[in-house]
Amino acid sequence: MYPNDIKYTKDHEWIRDEGGVCVVGITAHAASQLGDVTYVELPEIGQDVKKGAAVASVESVKAASDIYSPVRGRIAEVNDDLLGKPELVNQSPYDQGWFFKLDDVDTADLRHLMDAAKYEAFVAEHAE
Amino acid sequence: MQQTPLHDEHVAIGGKVVDFHGWALPVQYAGIIEEHHHTRAAASVFDCSHMGEFIIRGANALHSLNELLISDVLGLRAGRGRYGAILNGHGGIIDDVVSFKLAEDEVYLVTNAGPLDTVAALLAEAVPESENVSASTAKIDIQGPASRDALVRAGLGGIEALKYFAAGRFEWRGTPLVVSRAGYTGELGYELFVPNESVVALWRALLAIEPVKPAALGARDTLRTEVGYLLAGQDFDESRTPLEAGLDRFIAWETPFNGKDALLAKRDAGGYPVLTGIRTLDRRAPRHGFEVRKNGTVAGVVTSGTFGPSVGYGVGLAYVPRELAAPGTRLTAGPKEIEIETAEIPFYKNGTCRQD
Repeated sequence: MYPNDIKYTKDHEWIRDEGGVCVVGITAHAASQLGDVTYVELPEIGQDVKKGAAVASVESVKAASDIYSPVRGRIAEVNDDLLGKPELVNQSPYDQGWFFKLDDVDTADLRHLMDAAKYEAFVAEHAE
Repeated sequence: MQQTPLHDEHVAIGGKVVDFHGWALPVQYAGIIEEHHHTRAAASVFDCSHMGEFIIRGANALHSLNELLISDVLGLRAGRGRYGAILNGHGGIIDDVVSFKLAEDEVYLVTNAGPLDTVAALLAEAVPESENVSASTAKIDIQGPASRDALVRAGLGGIEALKYFAAGRFEWRGTPLVVSRAGYTGELGYELFVPNESVVALWRALLAIEPVKPAALGARDTLRTEVGYLLAGQDFDESRTPLEAGLDRFIAWETPFNGKDALLAKRDAGGYPVLTGIRTLDRRAPRHGFEVRKNGTVAGVVTSGTFGPSVGYGVGLAYVPRELAAPGTRLTAGPKEIEIETAEIPFYKNGTCRQD
């Protein structure tokens, strides 16, 4: 159900190591809980971010919520396509709906995050 | 939670059910924005069975009712409806209501789910002849430019003659219905008040007609906010008067009504905040409870707010001092102090509700 090539956080972000840079987005579960995404706020490129820092935000018809960086790093790139087409977060959460890319990441930090099986269990456990 | 007679239908077609004032009701089916656009472009059905309905018959009873309402229903022509509100002794709004005069001596009163117990107790005391039919009456709203055609094709002949805010008694497959041409979306539409036992058949019959689709509370909220309609319990409660809630134009000052003395005193004293349309300058949304600031100082509070799918920006309602209510006044809202400005309602101006 959840892709195996990425790691997951308890705040429902995902992170994919693409060798040198890591791509971050929110999971299909998070996107579905939010409903139709209407607005995305992205971080500034070049900014150093700590693990757990609120670096982006997302709004849907129903709610607003912050997006936290899953690891320490530096913002290398942001997905400007989301500004005009925030619905990509719902339509393609793991591909076209990514939020930002980090470089200067210690990839060892990714090891502490959940894999797909653990995240799926985490979601099931916290389901209403 | 209470369930409407359509509960199993919602679950069967994938409705995402939430708690709304103690009622289990769907918040969305296909998605809020899709349902919103479909309503503006075609037609959607909404389950509004949680709402309250009362029948008031006889000259004495209508007189007593009139003294509960800020609006005048005695002077209302048979077949027509009028928006109004029921106040407490301090002028605070218990509920906003619509009175449809089905006959010269009969009013069909439509009320909200949240304050229903309070309203029912008040009516039982002040208008003992009134009949509370809420528990046995289901309600489907069909809204959108294609709604008239859909109803006719469903066999509800005669409703084409209803003008905006008119109502009457009709029959569908032998079942008596009250139908009003009103709603909560700004679009051409009808409210169908139907006995519980017939509502599933009517719901299915309507959904079988192209292009009718189901829509739920989420879209109902974005649609009503875009046209600036108030939501009971959110945009007002008993702590707000109709003067603050911008309902001045619905007050029949020449008639006596409960709470009038308090309203007159308030009107003369002035200095109260007023409910005002607000919009963002981008796609961000103001949210219920956001503080409104002017130059960093708290000046008011947002009561409704959402992204407006048909206008493409954030829309909402906020209580602000009158001097800040002029359209185009720049303010900020919420912890991130997003930029907003006051704006005239409706935000969405192409609604079809008044069309011939």
